[in-house]
Amino acid sequence: MHASPFVIETTGLVKRFGLRTVLDGVSLRVPHGQVIGLLGLNGSGKSTLIKCLLGLLRPDAGEAALLGTDSWQLAAREKALIGYVPQEATLYPWLTVRQTVAYVSSFYSRWDRAWGEELVRRWDLPLGHRVGPLSVGQRQKLALVLALGHRPELLILDEPVASLDPVARRWFLETVLETVADGVGTVLFSTHITSDLERIASHVALVRDGRLEFHDEIDALKDRIKRLRITAPADLPRDLRLPGTLRSVVSGSQAIVTVDGVSEPLLAGIRERFSADVLVDDLNLEEIFLELHDAESAAAATVGR
Amino acid sequence: MPRSQPLFVVHASSGVPIYRQLVDQVETLVAGGRLRPGDLVPSVRQVAAALGVNPMTVSKAWSRLEADGVLIRDRGRGMVVAQRQEPASLADRREEVRPLVDRAVTHALHIGLTPTQLVALVRESLEEHRSCMHRPS
Repeated sequence: MHASPFVIETTGLVKRFGLRTVLDGVSLRVPHGQVIGLLGLNGSGKSTLIKCLLGLLRPDAGEAALLGTDSWQLAAREKALIGYVPQEATLYPWLTVRQTVAYVSSFYSRWDRAWGEELVRRWDLPLGHRVGPLSVGQRQKLALVLALGHRPELLILDEPVASLDPVARRWFLETVLETVADGVGTVLFSTHITSDLERIASHVALVRDGRLEFHDEIDALKDRIKRLRITAPADLPRDLRLPGTLRSVVSGSQAIVTVDGVSEPLLAGIRERFSADVLVDDLNLEEIFLELHDAESAAAATVGR
Repeated sequence: MPRSQPLFVVHASSGVPIYRQLVDQVETLVAGGRLRPGDLVPSVRQVAAALGVNPMTVSKAWSRLEADGVLIRDRGRGMVVAQRQEPASLADRREEVRPLVDRAVTHALHIGLTPTQLVALVRESLEEHRSCMHRPS
């Protein structure tokens, strides 16, 4: 039983390394059952956020809690319900795969031995081989066995697929989905590969410069942000401003405008005001991600002028 | 009994949300008669596993189709294709088709078809549809 309805909860989380502010007031609430993708550029603060959540780093201000318990106070009882795959798993190279599984499982009273063996078998991990010379993909698979064997309620993955080839990646994601279908519950994973996120995540949280830009359903994001291609009979105003504009390029009688919050009245308004044709482009997550970052750099350029 | 299971294809990186792609595909299968009233659609779990997408996404598509009256929940079985809803009355149905007929008639007269030729054309079209509908599946 958790007091909080949120599996993951942070409020105004701040983390600095020296003079550099890596997390700048992150408030994130994730209820049970979400598969949430943490999307951001390299260095945007994704890993730091994850480490604060897990109590591996102590925040300078604000609060972080997992399963209703303050992250810094997580005890064995809560940790037994959490599975974590770090960017690079720390494994003992001299142990064999079999010894590694036996060693890690001994820390968990909830370890499901049959399930662990099933995963090892299904993923063709060489039980008798030493961990040291395993390929990156195999090490990631092993790390996932170690994170799933105790049937966690919350699974946290930090760039789990960055170093995997497409086949291994697809396989990895399917396994995560399968465990979700089995009722693991909540999954948070960080990535900068948007196609993976689109496939398996229900929600996306965009992290930029240590701030949380957006946290909502992926579908909601796609329904909201659209690119409009406007063609008018006469020149359009150079300073064309539409409500919710993220980025706007005007060239003579044509304009391409990305807006957050497209609606029929908005489109009808444009058609009427400029007697223009308006085409609406659907954007995928990568395009949205780029539009948002372009908007930022465009705004910065304007300010700097 | 479900006949062959319909296959769905989704493009994760399309700008169209995955649930919408699934909704469109089921509607197309129903409209085209590939899925018939009473047919069972695959479970959320089956579709999610087959496509490698989040089960919540599939669940959302099925719920949307249920809300739209395309699918109904059959306790113990799963989601099945709903009976097609007929418009309330003959008058309503006539009203629905009327504008299409008007346009066809106007166009036919405009390009010089005689009334007799037009009626013959309608008969031909009806004949083709009838043979389509009776084709064994």
